[in-house]
Amino acid sequence: MKRALSLAAALALVLSLTACGAPKKAETSLFAMDTYMTLVAYGDGADEALTESARAINELEQLLSRTREDSDVWRINHGGGKVSSETVQLLARALAFSDETGGAFDITVAPLVDLWAINSDHPHVPSQAEIDALLPLVGSEHVSFGARESAAPGSYDVAYVDEGCAIDLGGIAKGYASDAVKEIFAAHGVKSGTVSLGGNVYVCGMRPDGKPWNVAVQDPQGDGYACILSLSDTFVVTSGGYQRFFTAEDGTVYQHIIDPATGAPARSDLLSVTVICPDGTRADAYSTALYVMGEEAAVGFWRLQQDDPFEAVLITADGRLVCTPGLTDHFTKQEGASYEIQFLSR
Amino acid sequence: MRSNSSPAKTRPTPWDALVVAAVVLLGALTALLFYGPKAHADAPLTCVVSVGGQVADAAPLASFSGEHTYSHNGYTLTVFVHDGQVEVLHSDCPGQDCVRSGAISRAGQSLVCLPAQVVIHLEGAVDGPDVIVG
Ligand SMILES: [Zn+2]
Repeated sequence: MKRALSLAAALALVLSLTACGAPKKAETSLFAMDTYMTLVAYGDGADEALTESARAINELEQLLSRTREDSDVWRINHGGGKVSSETVQLLARALAFSDETGGAFDITVAPLVDLWAINSDHPHVPSQAEIDALLPLVGSEHVSFGARESAAPGSYDVAYVDEGCAIDLGGIAKGYASDAVKEIFAAHGVKSGTVSLGGNVYVCGMRPDGKPWNVAVQDPQGDGYACILSLSDTFVVTSGGYQRFFTAEDGTVYQHIIDPATGAPARSDLLSVTVICPDGTRADAYSTALYVMGEEAAVGFWRLQQDDPFEAVLITADGRLVCTPGLTDHFTKQEGASYEIQFLSR
Repeated sequence: MRSNSSPAKTRPTPWDALVVAAVVLLGALTALLFYGPKAHADAPLTCVVSVGGQVADAAPLASFSGEHTYSHNGYTLTVFVHDGQVEVLHSDCPGQDCVRSGAISRAGQSLVCLPAQVVIHLEGAVDGPDVIVG
């Protein structure tokens, strides 16, 4: 009898350990917002969380796409009209980021993005006259809000831009979507997972083994990684010219991020900027802005944000990997990547 | 059951030895389950190609050498596997992002063609990162 009990106890121990060792994993992937997205969630609510996240992402795309004729952004760019409260909210944040970054991030750069058409099949190197003709259309002052009679007091439900102007929320929409996914995960009790919306990553909680997630930062100059960051409960967004570019007939390489100040592809001394902070929308906007600013201005900007700090990894064209000090304990150098590692001081 | 059982009964029997052996074995098995290497730890990379959301090919990279073509949404890609790496050799998609992405060779890396909805993903190595940004 005792023997049988011992056996049963040993067996039960094995089974119980097996059961608690592996929380349920769910995965999904989708093509949306001009990118490929993968979402992984662990826990009992994982399946529902992923289904709802995919639906939310598709709904946001319908609101924020520039090319869909039924989107809010299309309406704004074509005479203005009624928009959702979410669009108003995101527009307001976009304009605030533009203000904060001195215009390095600017959703009204769209006419110049179209002129260069670097992400399209027919990129074009415009003349300075063509650029100069469109530059006056860039700036937050060209975006306006309004309210219909039915709007709640003090709120806006109409948005429009000045004649000839256009907005593109592509530099912020995926960040906004990742914030939405974070809320959906939380609502379904998901405490562990990873979300990758193109260059926008959200790491939820810790890995199922209780360790932080290993987030690899792509090496902009090779097929490997520049470094590994051990992170939990935060957003990680990379912007870099290496992601999309075209080579003109004379051999000049034009990367896809347009500097709103010059109306031309940013001539950054940075190859990529990775921003880490607990706000996905902010990380998305900042990564683009810091890339456009270049190293010196980006570091200066980072220093100014001490009351609401963020972390960043800047990879410079002269072969350095510059990290903010908050990443010291989260940083692992990658074998094979030859960058000189520098940590900023506060 | 009496508490003052006779000395003879407390002496180990072959049955007891069997129980001890079973417990040790189960213990070892448990340890292996939790601390031992994962089953796929030393397995080579697997190349998974999905087309329009459906897995079209999944094969060990080493035995997947050569050219493979995939068509979807009216576009055709030629994928070339050689020397432990994968690249999109050519594609008639607009943008050509997939071709420009170059070659991938590490676990966790992907090549994506948005217009054709083709995703080539490498999975398998034990020390790969959880997620890649960039
Ligand atoms: Zn392609």
